Amino acid sequence: MSNSPIGMAEQDKSERERFENELNRIFQASNEAGLMLRVIGSLAFQMHCSQYGYLQEAMGRAYTDIDFAAYRHQTKEIKAMMAGLGYVENREVFVVSEGDRSIFDDFETGLYVDVFYDKLDFCHVIRWDGRLEVDSPTIPLAEMLLEKMQIVEINEKDVIDTIMLLMEHPLGDSDVEVINIERVAQLCSKDWGLWRTITMNLDKVEKLAQGYQQLSGEQKAHITSQVEAALARIEGEPKSLAWRLRARVGDRVKWYKEVDEVH
Amino acid sequence: MTKRIRDIMHPGVITCRPDAALGQVAVMLIQQHIHALLVADRDGRPIGVISDYDLLAGEWLSGDPESLEVMRSMTAGELMSTPVDTVEADVPVHEAVLRMGEEGISRLLVLDGGQPVGVVSVSDFVAALAETAPAKRETVADVMSDAMLVCRAKTPVISAARAMTQAGWRSVLVVNAAGKPLGVVSGLDLMAFCGDDGCEDVTVSQVMHPALTIHMSASLREAADVMIEHHHHRLVVVDPDDPESMPLGILSSYDIITQMARPGSVWQS
Repeated sequence: MSNSPIGMAEQDKSERERFENELNRIFQASNEAGLMLRVIGSLAFQMHCSQYGYLQEAMGRAYTDIDFAAYRHQTKEIKAMMAGLGYVENREVFVVSEGDRSIFDDFETGLYVDVFYDKLDFCHVIRWDGRLEVDSPTIPLAEMLLEKMQIVEINEKDVIDTIMLLMEHPLGDSDVEVINIERVAQLCSKDWGLWRTITMNLDKVEKLAQGYQQLSGEQKAHITSQVEAALARIEGEPKSLAWRLRARVGDRVKWYKEVDEVH
Repeated sequence: MTKRIRDIMHPGVITCRPDAALGQVAVMLIQQHIHALLVADRDGRPIGVISDYDLLAGEWLSGDPESLEVMRSMTAGELMSTPVDTVEADVPVHEAVLRMGEEGISRLLVLDGGQPVGVVSVSDFVAALAETAPAKRETVADVMSDAMLVCRAKTPVISAARAMTQAGWRSVLVVNAAGKPLGVVSGLDLMAFCGDDGCEDVTVSQVMHPALTIHMSASLREAADVMIEHHHHRLVVVDPDDPESMPLGILSSYDIITQMARPGSVWQS
C-alpha cells in the first residue's frame, strides 16, 4: 500500500510464491476462525485476474507486503489469529491510526501484513460497509478499482494493477466477476473530491497504457474503451447538491488528503 | 380562482455584483432577511443565484489557513449557480410547485414580459399554503404554533438570546430531560437580568419565569383571559392527559393577533 516507487522490481517466481503461500496460510486460518478478512493490494489483483495476472511479473510489478480489509468489530480476534500464526503487532500503528489499521511483522520471514479496518483512508476514504461479504477472497472488484484510483499521486505499480483489472473484467452494475461501475459512479456522485481523483486517474491509466510494449494494440484499445465507458457512467450519475457546490470551487481548494499526513 | 405566481411572489429583485466577496453577500442576506441573491451583470441582467447554502461552502472548505484564504478571495460570480431558473408571473402556482419539486429548485426568478419582477421561493409557497388553512377562531389548537424553540435549564442565556435572534422568536421554552415545561424565557426576562455587567455565566434557569399552561381545547377567549389576568404574552399548550410531557405547542399574543388580522377572520369581515 505504499505510495512510493516500492513495488516495482524484478521478483523471481519463488519469491512471489512465498507471498502467495503465506497469504493462503493466513486466509485459511481466518476462515477457520470465522473472520471476515479480504485481500487487497497487489495480491488481490493477482488472485482476481487469472488471465492477465502475468502482466504483474511481465511489467516488473513486485509484491511487497500482504494487505487485508477487515471489520473493526473483529479487531481482537484478528490480532489473536495473527499472534497464533507467529506475527508480532506493531502497536504504535494501531494507536496512531486510532484503531483503523494494524501492521503485523513476521521477523523470521521478513514478511509483514497490513490490515485496514472498516475503511481505506488514504487520499480519500473508501468504506467497506457491508462490502466485504460481497466477494471472496478479495474485496469486490469495484473497491479494487477505487483502492487504486483514489491515490492522487498514482504510481506505476497502481497503473499496472488497474490495467490488469480493466483487461480481465467487464464493467457492469453487479459484483460477480464484474467491476460494479454503478457503485463507483454513485460514490463519485456524492463526493466531488473522489470524483476529481478517480476521473483524473482513469485518464492517466488510459494514456499510460498506450506506452506499454507488453500490451498489444487490441489490448490498448480495450483499455481505452473500458476507461471511456467508466467515465461516461460516472459522468452520467446525477450529482448531489454538495457535489455541485464543491465543483464550483474546483481545484482552488485541495480536494484530497496528503498520504503522508495519514501515516 | 387559480392562484398565479404573481399572487405569492416576493416583489422586487435584490441583486449583487459578480465580484462581491462571500462576506459581503452574507451581510446582504442578513440585512435583507432573505436566503438568496440574484447575481447581476453590469447591465443589471441576472446571471446567477447565490444562496445561503452556497455560502456554507465558505465554512465547509476553510479547514486550514490556505483554504480559508482561497475561499475569502472567492466571489459571488464564482460560487453562484447558473443558469437562473425563471418562471412567468402568470403561471399557475400548482404548475410551478410541480416543476420545482421535479427539478429540485428552491427559488425561481419571476418574469413579466421577459423583465424580472420578483422572486418566488419555497418559503413563499409555504406561506401561501398556510393561508389556505380554514379561518377558525374557536380553540387554542387552531391558532397555536406547533413548533417551538426549546432549551434545557443549563443553557447559557447568551445561547438562548442567539437562538431567539436567529429563529426570529420572542421566547424560549425551558424543559427538563423528559420534556416537562419548567419555565419560559422572554426578551423581557433577558433585558431585566442582563444589565451593564453582562450575563456570560448566567443560565436560563436563573432568568426564566413560570410557564402558564393551557389546554388545546380551550377557547381563544379563555386564552386571552389568562394572558390578560396574568399579564403574560404566551401560554404553553399542554396535553391534558399528560401535562408533564413535552408540550404540544405555544400560543402567543402575536398568534391571536395574527389570527385577527387574517383576511376572512371575524375581525376583518
